[in-house]
Amino acid sequence: MLDITRLLEDIKASPHEEIVIRAPHTGVVAFESCRPGDMVSGVSGEWKERPGTLLATLTRERNPKPVTAMQSGELRELHTELEGKFVEAGTPLAVVRHFLSREEVISMLLKHALHLFTAPERAKYYFTPAVDIKIKTGGSRSVTVHHGMELLIMSRMKRETPVYYTGPGGIIYTVYFKHNQNVDAGAPLLGVCPESQLAVVEELVLRVQTEWKERA
Amino acid sequence: MDTNHIVLIANRGEIAVRIAQACHRLGIGFACVYTEEDAASGHLQVARELGGALFRVSSYHDANEILSVADQAGATAVHPGYGFFAEDFRFARRVTTRDRKMIFIGPSWQVIQALGDKINTKRLARSLGVPTVPGSDRPIYDEQEAEKIARSLYEFQLQQGVAHPLVLVKASAGGGGMGIEEVYDIDQFRSVYRSIRNYALRQFKDEGVLIEQRICEFNHLEVQIVADRTGKNPVHFGTRNCSIQSTGRQKRLEVAPGFAPADIKYDFDAAALLDTITSHSLKLAQKVGYDNVGTWEWIVTRDGSPFLMEVNTRIQVENGVSAKIARLNGKPGVDLISEQIRLGLGEPLGYTQSDVSLEGFGIEYRIIAEDPANHFSPWVGRIERFSWEPQPWLSMHTHVPAALDGTPYDIPTEFDPNLALAIVWGADLAEAKARGHAFLDSLVLEGHDKDGSPLQSNVAFLKDRTDGILRFA
Amino acid sequence: MDIEKRAQHLTDRLSYIRDIFVGRNGEIIDSLGVRLDSFFQNLADGSMKSPLEELVQLEKGFDEVERLLDSSLTPMEKVRIVRHPQRFCLRDILENVYDNFTEIGGQDEHSIDPSMVIARATITRHQGKKKYSQLIMVIGQEKGHGEEFRNGGSVKPWGNAKARHFMQVAETENIPIHTYVFTPGSFPVEDYPGAAQQIASNLYEMAGLSVPIISVISEGGSGGAEAIALADRRLMFSHGYYSVISPEGAAAIEGRLKGGARATPELIAHCAERLHMTAQDNLNFGYVDRIVQEPCLGARPFHYDFFRTLRQEVIRATDEAVLGARGFSPMRRLTLRRWGRDDTNMDEVFLSWNLSDSAREKLVAKRQKKFLRLSKGACWDRRPVLSRLRRNARESWDSLYARVKFELYTRHRQRISNFMNETLSMAVWLRDRMLYPITRKPVGPRLRPETVRELTTLSTWKEEDESRKGRWAYVSPRAREDRTVTCPNAATHGCLDLWAPDLYGEFAGVCTTCGHHFPMEYQWVVNNVFDADSVREFNAEVEAANPLNFPGLGESIQKAKEKTKLKSACVTFEARLNGIRMIVAMLVGPFRGGSVGAAEGLKFVEAAKLAEKKRYPFLAYVHGTAGIRIQEGTHGVIQMPRCTVAVRRYIEAGGLYLVLYDTNSYAGPVASFLGCSPYQFAMRSSNLGFAGVGVIKETTGIDVPPHYHSAYKALSRGHIQGVWDRREVRANLEQLLLTAGGRNLYYR
Repeated sequence: MLDITRLLEDIKASPHEEIVIRAPHTGVVAFESCRPGDMVSGVSGEWKERPGTLLATLTRERNPKPVTAMQSGELRELHTELEGKFVEAGTPLAVVRHFLSREEVISMLLKHALHLFTAPERAKYYFTPAVDIKIKTGGSRSVTVHHGMELLIMSRMKRETPVYYTGPGGIIYTVYFKHNQNVDAGAPLLGVCPESQLAVVEELVLRVQTEWKERA
Repeated sequence: MDTNHIVLIANRGEIAVRIAQACHRLGIGFACVYTEEDAASGHLQVARELGGALFRVSSYHDANEILSVADQAGATAVHPGYGFFAEDFRFARRVTTRDRKMIFIGPSWQVIQALGDKINTKRLARSLGVPTVPGSDRPIYDEQEAEKIARSLYEFQLQQGVAHPLVLVKASAGGGGMGIEEVYDIDQFRSVYRSIRNYALRQFKDEGVLIEQRICEFNHLEVQIVADRTGKNPVHFGTRNCSIQSTGRQKRLEVAPGFAPADIKYDFDAAALLDTITSHSLKLAQKVGYDNVGTWEWIVTRDGSPFLMEVNTRIQVENGVSAKIARLNGKPGVDLISEQIRLGLGEPLGYTQSDVSLEGFGIEYRIIAEDPANHFSPWVGRIERFSWEPQPWLSMHTHVPAALDGTPYDIPTEFDPNLALAIVWGADLAEAKARGHAFLDSLVLEGHDKDGSPLQSNVAFLKDRTDGILRFA
Repeated sequence: MDIEKRAQHLTDRLSYIRDIFVGRNGEIIDSLGVRLDSFFQNLADGSMKSPLEELVQLEKGFDEVERLLDSSLTPMEKVRIVRHPQRFCLRDILENVYDNFTEIGGQDEHSIDPSMVIARATITRHQGKKKYSQLIMVIGQEKGHGEEFRNGGSVKPWGNAKARHFMQVAETENIPIHTYVFTPGSFPVEDYPGAAQQIASNLYEMAGLSVPIISVISEGGSGGAEAIALADRRLMFSHGYYSVISPEGAAAIEGRLKGGARATPELIAHCAERLHMTAQDNLNFGYVDRIVQEPCLGARPFHYDFFRTLRQEVIRATDEAVLGARGFSPMRRLTLRRWGRDDTNMDEVFLSWNLSDSAREKLVAKRQKKFLRLSKGACWDRRPVLSRLRRNARESWDSLYARVKFELYTRHRQRISNFMNETLSMAVWLRDRMLYPITRKPVGPRLRPETVRELTTLSTWKEEDESRKGRWAYVSPRAREDRTVTCPNAATHGCLDLWAPDLYGEFAGVCTTCGHHFPMEYQWVVNNVFDADSVREFNAEVEAANPLNFPGLGESIQKAKEKTKLKSACVTFEARLNGIRMIVAMLVGPFRGGSVGAAEGLKFVEAAKLAEKKRYPFLAYVHGTAGIRIQEGTHGVIQMPRCTVAVRRYIEAGGLYLVLYDTNSYAGPVASFLGCSPYQFAMRSSNLGFAGVGVIKETTGIDVPPHYHSAYKALSRGHIQGVWDRREVRANLEQLLLTAGGRNLYYR
């Protein structure tokens, strides 16, 4: 049985996540007015339609693009020494110390409670078209999976191979991979909640909802 | 030539290594790009050794990254290699027409655009009397007209003695094998036609189809063309035979020249045929003002009928095998990539067809981590050892660090698992084959995947196919 | 007791006065307050000799002050009167004006939309001893003296749909409709149906509804008002307002306020004045036919005299509409003139409101003509009189020519040629059938040399006919800039930045990864959709003006004219598409947001008329429109019913009316003459609906999800019939020209 109390205590001991914000591509960087120590906000709004705090602008081919904080927290580092310089793709620009939100804590704990279906190979993954349509209309939790079901498409080396789900049947509780991003072999792709576990998961969610105090 | 040039190499792997080396030989600067995923690739190591600048980009496929880096590196020219932007006329157009203009090392964008359109190429060829696959040379929109063409194609093949005529219906806007179907029973034509037309309408918003004869049993030949920026005096560097391919129609083994009339008996005059396709290729090159290196792809049937398929407006993987047998004013050591850069930067050709001669036979092996027994499915894992015995008749091109300095190398999953190109030369066909065997036997290629299973490669497949080269199967 | 009650009533009147006059006439009102206070004081301590007399005096004082104040009411004060919870509402009218009524559109909050009330009512008239009772369908917004669930008379789309339904019921039963407009504006949600979609549908319905419609306006807020106000007779309460937008809304636009910032009271009052929204203004413009006089400072439920007046007015208006439809015999004319006098008691004369079929037709035609005539002077028509006459003559000739050609010549010719073709075809078939055994072809391949040649040599192909392949006749000036553009879907679809010369040139403004359509200039469609050199503009001399002398509008119109080199936001032209000639009315986004005022409306109406005369298809190409040009006030808003009437006439004459939306298309025009087309298509670049996201948030407090107004959402709502890729507009339009539309197209 899952020891929710102990898991929660562990997270409470280190409730932060350090998020490194990197240049998404090459370009010349210009920083905005915020400075280390400032609080920044992340993406917000009911439909995630409001972008986070503007940290810098990255200009490539005369196209200035905003670099914003994705999560809220305290701005720990800002590489202002790069001001006005050309940076390579992936260059760290800032570090945000993010206090874990309820949702994030739940998702961390769920990794213990759900059946994790992991990536067989390092590759990019997509849902099969039929499942994809279901998810786009009804959300992932509208999809029930069962052992042997053709669920995903694995794309690597320009080849696409079907991936069959293995494990207990249940609903897709969480999706861990993102469109067009490589997933390492062994990393979780999906968290599946078997029927029998539903009560445990609900309890877990409830516990976090009541016990986890969010901070800005 | 002006050695103040800096070439931005917009590619990775083996070709990036060879372009870097060619720039170094020509005494001009260069800069390389790489992605985070590909940071272990040997082209970084070569770039560092040869003094080229290195830039990490988000993707090899993003033209904006390439041009942003090119500006930062002060590049005066961009070399696309093969794949990625090599045949992208829009990229070439952007490189040469943007505010800070650079040279695109390849044909002019107008030429790429003209020859990138298969229908246009076919019509250009027909306008010059260059043979092309029988059938339509424009999109057909009318069902009755389509059926009329299909029926005459069917009868045409019967008349030619084809026992089981086949007709291909393909979406004129398609490509890459999508939207193509075979008709073996002419009475089925209408239903096949309609399904392709509807597919084309859905997929490409254009219901035009092409109707062509499906040609079976052929050899895949290529003519290597080299021209300078004037586009007036193209020369050819002989032919290649690229008939040995994977099940997915990917080339695995290439031989130059395209046939061996002295050693093998054909149903036709093979020497004359090679002359025919080279002269046809040159004619078309002249007509469009072709102004860099390029490859004219032909198929040749068992009875010796050639058909021009398409023109690849780029340097090809297998350029080295043509270079291997080429002699310029009798001297070996031709490097087509250096030639491409030199001519691309505007140098005059400096020789004519009569200065080019061919000697002996070259075989190129593409060494790939894959399982030929299982639909050539790629193998992913870590290469631990990769070595061979150096020979004066052998050239190896690789970006695998295990071969360069012994560092183990995890094959990135983003790209084809090509490891190396090996090119052997022999004075005659028998010697070339024997050396091919000797090389493949000496090759050490070891590695393991994450489960500890050993590396799979196509070396045995290549060895097996060496004996039958240049023959009709 | 009675004294106390009456005194209490005075307290209510005083607080009402205070509510109306904010920051004005303070002294007079205060002195009134002092008098009332001292009256109460004296009443309490019993120090008055004759409290009743004092009270009567005080009441007279109130009357006097109210009369005084009424004579100097500002427009903004009238707005406050109209919005005051004490103002009479529809229920008061139903109770006091009609003899009997039954609510049929729901009861109180048990209604699909309690802000729209429908009732069956009767009016009984006496002539001598005879009693005549006639039925009426009463439709109107109900504010319910501030009842929460009435939503202030702001009607949701389904409330307007209910109104439309009962208009049809009235038409079936052949009874008149009385509509009462008490709305600050429509509730701007895009649901099923959307606000704009439904109002357009209502307008289209009323433009051809064959029973008398009388509307009376108290608060006439823009589109919400129009939804029930396209009437034969339009009356207006003396203290009402009828406007294109609320003064607050106008002030927010004028002050360029964003994100819920509030305009100053001065600016709002200024806008209220500038919009010329009072009854007198609208009577002067001709947009209402008559003013119903209210008591001083506006009618409230206790003004029983007022309701008697109102009853007289609506009966008279209905009689006028009915008589107008029946045609004017000398006796009717005389009667009408006499009844028009205010001293006639309409309850004591009788006229049947039942109309014959021919009268119903005449009624509709009259209503349509009435609206087509409106607002002519509100723009700057620089077309020389002589050439206008010449044009009219030519158009009449065209019309005559078309009639002769199509109805006499073409139709007969077609019949003959059909007959010939059929006969010929049968003859050939019979011949072949009979000769079959003789001409049967030998089996086995025998290819002729020319067939082989066809298969192996160059064929002829006119490539230009087949496709343009990214070679566009018009290329955006933005394609000249060496820069890249980020697709808004980059995060979700992985689109790479697009190079502007590619994007705005070859790609026609379409992201090659996700298909997102960037907005393009109107010239793109004009030059790439219609046949080369086939575009001929007409009525270019009609120019947008500033009919209300709205401060600043003159300059900004001038600026727009210089910037766009156009004279108004509506350009009308004749063009061909693969040889098919058509009339196009185009709303141009960059000219004042593509807003529609009197000039635009005039050009649109003329274009529809011309299309009808020439039997051409009529395309409304909406490059973009922000709505009605608010600075033109009711001159602008009247274009909604006016142009809808023009469109309905065109469609009913057998034309094909198409609408194509390109970029952002909102508000009045979409909620009327555009939204009523049976064939509306939108490019993927378009957003369409009633009010923008900001306005929805401001007026309703509702946050709407992203892409709320996108073309695909509009398609799902059933507002439009399809979403088009910009690169396929030409092909799709041609397809529609051949497959859609009415009986009277010249090429059919």
